[in-house]
Amino acid sequence: MNVRRSGLTMPVVTARFVDNAWRRSCDFVIIDLEDSVPQHLKAHARTLVKDAIASVSKGGAEAFVRINHDSMEEDVEASVWPGLKRIRYPKTEHAHEVHRLDALITRYEGARGIEPGTIEIDPSIETALGVANIFEIAAASARIREFGAATGGYDLSRDLGIEMFVDFDQFVYPRGEAELAARTLGLGVRTAPFVANTTGSVSDADRALRQAEAARKCGLRLGTGGLNPAVVENHNLGLTPTEEELRDAQWVLEQYRVVEESGAAWKTIGERVIDRYEAARAKELLEWAAACAERNREKAEAVARVKAQA
Amino acid sequence: MSSILIRRSNLLVSMAERGQVENAWRHDADAITLDLESGVPPELKPAARAQVREALQPAARGGAEIFVRVNDSTMSEDLDACVWPGLSGIMVPRVESAADVAEAAEIVTVLERERRLPVGSVSLIAVIESAAGVWHLRSIVAASPRVSQVALDEGDLAASLGIEPLPEYDPFVYARGRVAVEATAARVGAIGMAYPLSVRPREAPGSEIHALATKARNSGMKGVICPYASWVAPVNAAFTPTSELVAWNRRVREAFAAGVAAGTAAVPLEGRMIDVPVDEWAIVVLATAEACAARDAQKSAAKSQASETPSKSQ
Repeated sequence: MNVRRSGLTMPVVTARFVDNAWRRSCDFVIIDLEDSVPQHLKAHARTLVKDAIASVSKGGAEAFVRINHDSMEEDVEASVWPGLKRIRYPKTEHAHEVHRLDALITRYEGARGIEPGTIEIDPSIETALGVANIFEIAAASARIREFGAATGGYDLSRDLGIEMFVDFDQFVYPRGEAELAARTLGLGVRTAPFVANTTGSVSDADRALRQAEAARKCGLRLGTGGLNPAVVENHNLGLTPTEEELRDAQWVLEQYRVVEESGAAWKTIGERVIDRYEAARAKELLEWAAACAERNREKAEAVARVKAQA
Repeated sequence: MSSILIRRSNLLVSMAERGQVENAWRHDADAITLDLESGVPPELKPAARAQVREALQPAARGGAEIFVRVNDSTMSEDLDACVWPGLSGIMVPRVESAADVAEAAEIVTVLERERRLPVGSVSLIAVIESAAGVWHLRSIVAASPRVSQVALDEGDLAASLGIEPLPEYDPFVYARGRVAVEATAARVGAIGMAYPLSVRPREAPGSEIHALATKARNSGMKGVICPYASWVAPVNAAFTPTSELVAWNRRVREAFAAGVAAGTAAVPLEGRMIDVPVDEWAIVVLATAEACAARDAQKSAAKSQASETPSKSQ
């Protein structure tokens, strides 16, 4: 199980961001070649990716790269190196774009001694046309293992011609279409319930916690990432089950064992129903909590190793 | 950048209401639609049809684009009556498939040729009023290059689905979202009001109309069909970028340019993060503000000319 609760997008050309990314406790870091890199620095940016992959993952984070829509070939060549886990492809509008990306990744995996098929593709849905073609896109490659639409993307807003940061949910339809496609195809669902952000702040840690907790309470597991280090810890926290939830899940499983031994299908205790659905939910929660704990330990060990070497 | 279509308000007036038709030009609507359909009782349809040609030019005195809403059951006769100089387009009701659009487009093409109008000059607004229409949206918006806008008639959609909308629950979040997405994907303008006035239009205070029209704009709509003249001013205002928004987007452009010059395209500004799409959106907002100002200037020029030379029909 991949634990991807928190992540930051870092402009590859800004050394102080890239150099410090490993300290941020992210589950993943997206090395950006796209919207945070000025056009005149794109070629230079490509030369920095290989080292950035090693650098950002020192603290145990998975390294992803966001390439440019219009320079797929050059960007993939610059990005597919050992350590890379996923390529994010922005403004995906057609399945054939994913097919082409898949073939390019396959070529460089082979040439650079990376196990074939291991690098994931994350097609970003950021335009109305992308939403319209969403199912074909999500189904376009076995490298797509998680899928979702942004909860309030800048690009999709621009394309739809809407101001962001309003007090109502503007993306019900795109999110619904994305989740439907992901669930139909058995992919990890990356989405989040609507929590208003009327200021446009990217560093509001309290809101980040409310957002991540709301997502966890909906049974969601994957984080949508952020832009500012201030939100990372609360994304990790909010998507990790609480002690109270763990105790409750253990209690549900104990009660369900009693139900099973009695030969019944279900029973009620107070207002709670204990049946196999509740038991399955409790079991999944405990597994998720264990995976989060394991991920936290991995990251802590990685950070300790870096500090020991220093 | 391609030119931006500014058609914020589209005032719907019944061809059976003489006073409404005569005064429609005074309300500052970007477009006026002369209705031959639901607003006209069956017994008055022939008379309304006979008068529509003469109503076109006077209705345009305030600089509005003029549309006619035709009946699906008498499409040929209605189009024959209204495709004349001065007509900007046709509002086609009850569209359920691409074939419905194609049918209207074919008749319009023949009439344009016969009457020596520039071929392709008459545009279409497709109105969706049924589940089939919502489902077939993609082929509908792509059915003809004449389709400039698409609207959901939520009152008729509710009736067609057999639902009675509740005051506190918006039944058409999905349908409206789909209209916005499919229209935008095809580079067609989605138009419509926000709930609850979308499903039950009524006269309301200007502040309420303004708030809901703003919500409609922020849901992806490019304008509103106004069943009441009192909707026009708040709708125009809601779809015109405010001076605050213009000022903010100027700051965005400046900050972004400075960031790029300093080697980064991710620029913090007043708590937000400015990068390429934010700068691109700023360009759109500033261009929209200019286009709205140009449209308003056009209309007031037309209006002052109209008051200097009163129409003979008055």
